[in-house]
Amino acid sequence: MVAGELVSQSIVNGILLGGIYAVAALGLSLVFGIMDIVNLAHGHMLMVGAYVAILVFAATGITPLVGMFLAMGLLFVFGIVLQKVLLKHVVGEGIEQPIIVLFGLALILQNIGQLVLGGDARTADLGIPGDGIDLGFAFLSLPRTVTFVVAVVLIGATWAFLQYTKTGQAIRATAQNRKAARYMGIDTDRIYVITLAVGTALAGAAGALLSMLFPINPFVGWSYLLKAFAVVVLGGVGSILGTLVGGVILGVSENLGALYLGGGYRNVVSLLIFLGVLLLKPEGLFGSGGGGE
Amino acid sequence: MSFLERHPEEPLVANRRLQAVLGVVVLALLVVPFVTTDALTGLVLTGLVFVMLGVSWNLLAGYAGQISLGHAAFFGMGAFVAAWLTTPSAAGFPASIQLPILVAVVLGGLAAALIALVIGPVIFRLSGHYFAIGTLALAAVIELVMLDQRSLTGGSTGYYVQGDLGLNEFVSHGDVMFLLTLVATIVTIAVTYRIVRGAGGLGMKAIHDDEEAASSLGVNPLKYKMYAFVVSSFFAGLAGGLYGHYTLYINPESTLAVTWTIDSLVIVILGGMGTFAGPVLGAALFLLLDTGLAAIVGSVATTIEGALIILFIIYLPQGLYGLAEDYFITDVGKSGGAQAPKSTDATPETDPDIAADED
Repeated sequence: MVAGELVSQSIVNGILLGGIYAVAALGLSLVFGIMDIVNLAHGHMLMVGAYVAILVFAATGITPLVGMFLAMGLLFVFGIVLQKVLLKHVVGEGIEQPIIVLFGLALILQNIGQLVLGGDARTADLGIPGDGIDLGFAFLSLPRTVTFVVAVVLIGATWAFLQYTKTGQAIRATAQNRKAARYMGIDTDRIYVITLAVGTALAGAAGALLSMLFPINPFVGWSYLLKAFAVVVLGGVGSILGTLVGGVILGVSENLGALYLGGGYRNVVSLLIFLGVLLLKPEGLFGSGGGGE
Repeated sequence: MSFLERHPEEPLVANRRLQAVLGVVVLALLVVPFVTTDALTGLVLTGLVFVMLGVSWNLLAGYAGQISLGHAAFFGMGAFVAAWLTTPSAAGFPASIQLPILVAVVLGGLAAALIALVIGPVIFRLSGHYFAIGTLALAAVIELVMLDQRSLTGGSTGYYVQGDLGLNEFVSHGDVMFLLTLVATIVTIAVTYRIVRGAGGLGMKAIHDDEEAASSLGVNPLKYKMYAFVVSSFFAGLAGGLYGHYTLYINPESTLAVTWTIDSLVIVILGGMGTFAGPVLGAALFLLLDTGLAAIVGSVATTIEGALIILFIIYLPQGLYGLAEDYFITDVGKSGGAQAPKSTDATPETDPDIAADED
């Protein structure tokens, strides 16, 4: 039997990790819901974001919490270029072409990551002590808590952006009905560019946050893509609250899986939950169906 | 996606000039192990494995329209089941179940097909994006579980495969494996050809074009998807078993990793998705790229492969086959005088500018 304290500790750590998973998933969910493409390179963009934070930290000692904004900015621009140069040719062409273009992009990002940094795993240092608050039933590590708070703030900011800004409202209108949005004078091509840029920037942010907690290597892209997609499926495409809940569910179940079945099964647990939900309730636990047309 | 399609009635093998070319190619391949170095034989064998992977993935993705990102799972499971049967003691099985390589490899393919048969009805509840991601996740689960089952797979260190054919005085191991792989490749191509030219191929294309319409006309989508999936998995597993018994070493990362899925996809995109000869041409180009580029630009090769599949899918969605058809095969057809439908639409379709402007 596993001690009760280990269980509650795993749950607390899982909740804190779930916030970052939710940030990663939010970017994927936005792009999926609005543009109807699955960004197969999302995990690799997350990896790039992590490396930006790691490299900035290694070169200058700047905390990855600041490096995160650099990663977001870089991936925002990358998203704009990606949509304008490549994806505009294939969006709306059925699923084959976009999925293959993004598969190719994932391949390129992984290879570049490998060339720049080699295959070794690296991590960044948050620069705050690893100790934290003892809650009695569990220990609240300071780095995990800080990254969780930042993650929740990012999710809140994205929600506010979609809710209150004109661009955000246009994005939601496009998600509801692209044709109608276009008739109402919304430049849907521009909306796609912004949506992809916000989505990739969120991948960058999630990567920077993860780099403070876990070692990152150039091959983590596929694994984080699947985690992010699992959260999207758990939470439902286009649901921000669902994404946060889905992230927490995934984080907790991974940690409990690792505790009971051994570390090798951490990812197996999340994948099986993912496949299970996908097959039994593809619209997500909290979803009301796809956000697309 | 009609521009990815070929005409099923196109008499590819009925063309005499093509028959002669095919005959020469097969004869040339047959003598490869006897006139070249071991390294070159191994290289061509790898190319044949690429052909098997490409042709089998194309049946599922190009014809039946199911973009699977889990092909590596079937390649790897075929490799492992074959290895367990030729080398039972390494995986903790009783030595008495040891089988000859040929039988073990075929059983490896059948095991992969059986896995597809069991998983198919469940995984085909997903479609489109969900199917692609679901198959990626499924392959990841299989890889992780196999990696963890050290007693069966040797974990990340893997184990050496028993490859004694009892023929070592006459021919080398690599040469025998080459000939077996050549036969398997020809069988793969011939069987797939029969399927796509027959009723099965028509059914697959119908659900690829419009699943709902096909369904309302009495085509059972699940039946044709399963057909493509099981056959495709069998040949992927066969390729895995042959490759494992050529390299004589096996571990989960070298056989089950997403790399094999990537390779299959790149081969088919380069050659031409949904075209019959495409994956064969694609495998040849990919082999050249993989070895040639690696020699010239080293580790940048993967980046170039990624860039190529992006450029091909945007500007040349019919791949090399589309190009070749424009410049060579159409001419052959005209001199044969029997290919009326092709001249009407093949040329404008493959024009890169028009393909790019299609939205």
